[in-house]
Amino acid sequence: MARLAMVIDTKKCVGCMDCVVACKTENNVPEHLDRDWLVYETRGKFPTLHMEIRSERCNHCDNPPCVYCCPTGASHVHDFGGVVLVDYDKCIGCKACLASCPYDARFINPNGYAEKCTFCIHRTEKGDDPACVAVCPTHCMYFGDIDDPNSEVSRLLASRNHHALLPAAGTKPQIYYLT
Amino acid sequence: MKVLIGFIKDAVISVTSGSLKYHIWMAFLTFLMLCGAYAYSIQIKNGLIVTGMSDGVSWGLYISNFTFLVGVAAAAVMLVLPTYILKDIDFSRAVLIGEGMAVAALVMCLAFVTVDLGGPARIWHLIPGIGLFNFPNSMLSWDVIVLNGYLFINLTIPLYILLWHYQGKEPKKAVYLPGVFISVFWAVAIHMVTAFLYAGLVSRPFWNSSLLGPRFLASAFAAGPALMILVLGVIRRNTDYWVEDITLNKIALVTTVAAQINMVMLISELFKEFYFPTHHSLSAIYLYFGLDGYDGLTRWIWPAVIMNLIATIMLTLHPLRKNPFFLKLACLILFVAIWIEKGMGLIIPGFIPGPWGKIIEYTPTWIEIVVTAGVWALGLFVFTLLVKIAIPIELGQLRFHQTATNQP
Repeated sequence: MARLAMVIDTKKCVGCMDCVVACKTENNVPEHLDRDWLVYETRGKFPTLHMEIRSERCNHCDNPPCVYCCPTGASHVHDFGGVVLVDYDKCIGCKACLASCPYDARFINPNGYAEKCTFCIHRTEKGDDPACVAVCPTHCMYFGDIDDPNSEVSRLLASRNHHALLPAAGTKPQIYYLT
Repeated sequence: MKVLIGFIKDAVISVTSGSLKYHIWMAFLTFLMLCGAYAYSIQIKNGLIVTGMSDGVSWGLYISNFTFLVGVAAAAVMLVLPTYILKDIDFSRAVLIGEGMAVAALVMCLAFVTVDLGGPARIWHLIPGIGLFNFPNSMLSWDVIVLNGYLFINLTIPLYILLWHYQGKEPKKAVYLPGVFISVFWAVAIHMVTAFLYAGLVSRPFWNSSLLGPRFLASAFAAGPALMILVLGVIRRNTDYWVEDITLNKIALVTTVAAQINMVMLISELFKEFYFPTHHSLSAIYLYFGLDGYDGLTRWIWPAVIMNLIATIMLTLHPLRKNPFFLKLACLILFVAIWIEKGMGLIIPGFIPGPWGKIIEYTPTWIEIVVTAGVWALGLFVFTLLVKIAIPIELGQLRFHQTATNQP
């Protein structure tokens, strides 16, 4: 079975925010809210500073706490590639998933349901890349099946140093950052 | 069937007649409920944006009150256990009042959860069988089951006992005792499940603690009986329903022991957070000392801790506890202290700072405050109604085929 994941090359990311704009346009995300965002993390001491720019979003965890805590099963793992989705018609807006997510990936839509990144499932089911990946001007984002050893994402993870966010939380996140 | 119709008729007569004081009290509660309903209508129209909650702090005043009231409901077990199972006759006069308090607290709990929802129109998904129910994975679905189950138990047992007393008969133990046994375990369950709801969230280290469940129980068994003592005091003053001093003393003893255990747990929590603070202690630092210049809760938590300490000391000293005035004062202080500490003091800091260190503070808006006041008024209204029906029956003034006597 396919396991969809995203690999982001932090060495190539210039922090242009095109992914953020593309997501908002593609998914009609309400004003002042975002399904993806940028983090600029600086490490070290002057003059040997190191900056990592990360495009972050829902990590579509293999062990998603939001799916466990959801009382109605609105948050669920989709058959297609293990993507974590919210069924808006089933969501009662109890906000337990917002409290459970270690990545702060969710927000409440003004219509009262929880919303987050869907890996652009309406596009990816047809074989297209998610909007953020498709528009990236430096091609720093890759999307594909990590269960397939020949996919581009698998080859990148096999050949480059990488990390995921908060692995200690035990959520098995599926967004990988190449360093 | 005839008995039931007669019971309902007499109950309606009983709750609609009373002294001027009673009518003013009920009118006041109705006014508050109407204000709450108006504020909630604004919230329904505009959505949760009119509350102070945000994506950073996604649970606020409503869930704080909910958490506290689950404890008040669970505390009824401290009266049920001695009365029905240990057959301590001293408690028998207070137990129906305790169960009424549990019912009122549960009604408030369910109301607080409902007003907190972003999509209340889809609440039917929480009904097992009809809706989509993520059981047993979600602790929230467990909470729905245990809260409604507890409400059912606490409605049916007193109703059965009252109906039989209403006919002048002695209720059969074989009928209600199994329910009582279940309710004892169930009371512990409602609070443990509610604690697990928070403790199960990995990204909130402030709640992700094994002490949370036991601490919930200890504080509940302190705040609940403390409220009971205050309520029994009011009932003793305003009705002919006389609860003996010995009962009050025994409930006071329960409150004292629970308050002492609660204090030990508080110290243990403070030690763990502050002896060697890690980044998991940031929420506690925010709560007690403020973080990066944000200190919205410090002015609440310190008075709460000090009040908790004072009340526990007052209850521990025998001469003070045995003095009715100081007992009531200590109970009032303890109740308010635990309400702050286990309400806003527990829920809000869980979200601050967020998992990525972002600090978004929370202040309830007037809409939240008015809705909260309305829900509390609803609880008090329900409780007053239940007591107004139960007391004449227990006093023998309200019986089948007799017309109800006017009760003050």
